[in-house]
Amino acid sequence: MSSTHPEVPGEPTKTGTAFLETATATIQSFAPINQIHQHLCAFHFYSYDMTRQVEAHHYCAHQNEEMRQCLIYDSPDADARLIGLEYVISEPLFLTLPDDEKRLWHSHEYEVKSGLLFMPGVPGSIERQDMEKLAKTYGKVFHFWQVDRRDNLPLGIPQVMMAFTRDGQIYEDLVKGVENRYGISVAKERENRAYISGPTHGIHPLANGGAKGLKTELREVDCKPTDSVPQGLCLSIN
Amino acid sequence: MASSEKSSSALATDGDPRPPGQPMTVEQHVLDKGAQILQSLKPVKKMSQHACTFASYSHDMTRQIETHHYITRLNQDFLQCAVYDTDHVHGRLIGIEYIISDRIFEDLPPDEQKLWHSHAYEIKSGLWVNPRVPGIIEKPELENLVKTYGKFWCTWQVDRGDKLPLGAPSLMMSPQPVNLGQVSPELLHARDRKYNISTEALRASRVEFPEPEWINPQADYWKQHGKGFAIDIKLTDMILRAPFP
Repeated sequence: MSSTHPEVPGEPTKTGTAFLETATATIQSFAPINQIHQHLCAFHFYSYDMTRQVEAHHYCAHQNEEMRQCLIYDSPDADARLIGLEYVISEPLFLTLPDDEKRLWHSHEYEVKSGLLFMPGVPGSIERQDMEKLAKTYGKVFHFWQVDRRDNLPLGIPQVMMAFTRDGQIYEDLVKGVENRYGISVAKERENRAYISGPTHGIHPLANGGAKGLKTELREVDCKPTDSVPQGLCLSIN
Repeated sequence: MASSEKSSSALATDGDPRPPGQPMTVEQHVLDKGAQILQSLKPVKKMSQHACTFASYSHDMTRQIETHHYITRLNQDFLQCAVYDTDHVHGRLIGIEYIISDRIFEDLPPDEQKLWHSHAYEIKSGLWVNPRVPGIIEKPELENLVKTYGKFWCTWQVDRGDKLPLGAPSLMMSPQPVNLGQVSPELLHARDRKYNISTEALRASRVEFPEPEWINPQADYWKQHGKGFAIDIKLTDMILRAPFP
């Protein structure tokens, strides 16, 4: 009962470790994880470089009707790599954000209407009920693992990601890849979704980077002076 | 334009931990239930452990949080964790942590190593616990984890009252046996009360766990260098292949 991963360095999982994990999985409470009810397949690109595009498998839970939180994996398989996360909020919530914050969020209208965003395994008529809502939402995505440049570990700093906003941006290969694997037609679904409308107030001009790219940078900061920390327990390990 | 350590004061906070928004409609519940039946959700089903521990913001180590890690092991040397602020149904997804063995860590370039933290103290001191798991079961896994290093990005600063995830991700650091790395007693006692456990007793029971032969000084960067890290997000020109947006 060992497992390994073809692209992540490391030894195969030992049998003893795997057994322990079966035990913990049975005994413990996984309440926040049990809220994850939905798998969405979509595509992101790096917010400073549209030529770097990534297929992104979202596993989403609702906090409430207007907010979702999603784990992003590079595939839908059991050994998928956890590469990032996305928060999805309604238009009303988006409009409460400070302007500088709005830039970090992207619109979903095009992803939905083009058929690029879909729920694997779910029939179109059911899927569309959620797509109607998603078309009006905004998302904020960070990726921590740059699998597209073949990093076999999550190196470097977080990357702000964007979603597609018009025809001609996404690589055709990426689209054909999901069409073949899932037996779907993006073009056909686009027709089915023609009736769906985007945000009530239109896509906010500051969303999607405010039409600019976004780059993250690391900066060193001085640590607070040590006497600003409560003394606390000194849990010596000796 | 945005940074991990600067806060937007525009959004009011009222102490309610739940994010703003209408409660889920019946229709949404039905949709979710339908999806759950039709979809396999395999990567999520592979999460096999829940651990509760503590972390602090590397740009301000006086800010400490309790964290709940939901962990998947990809192989003997690598784990990936979805991190929440509680283990309740409404737990907020606050970040992601990756955990690697010392073997893998030693191969990383020094500039990468400084983003990682060690786990030896956190585990041996009893701060890291697997709630509801008897010590005898968690022991082999903890002996493995004692020698690992973690990299933890926090994307939702709930401890400063953010109702929604704002700003840039923050790099987090682990508890350490020196001043800035010590967990506040209030935080610790609240956790222990909740699970009816004693961190002190756990520490005693873990005394014989083997210690790593050495901990790489590039990890826990603040200890040797007195520096933490912040992430800035800056506007730039996007490399395009088609008009945007």
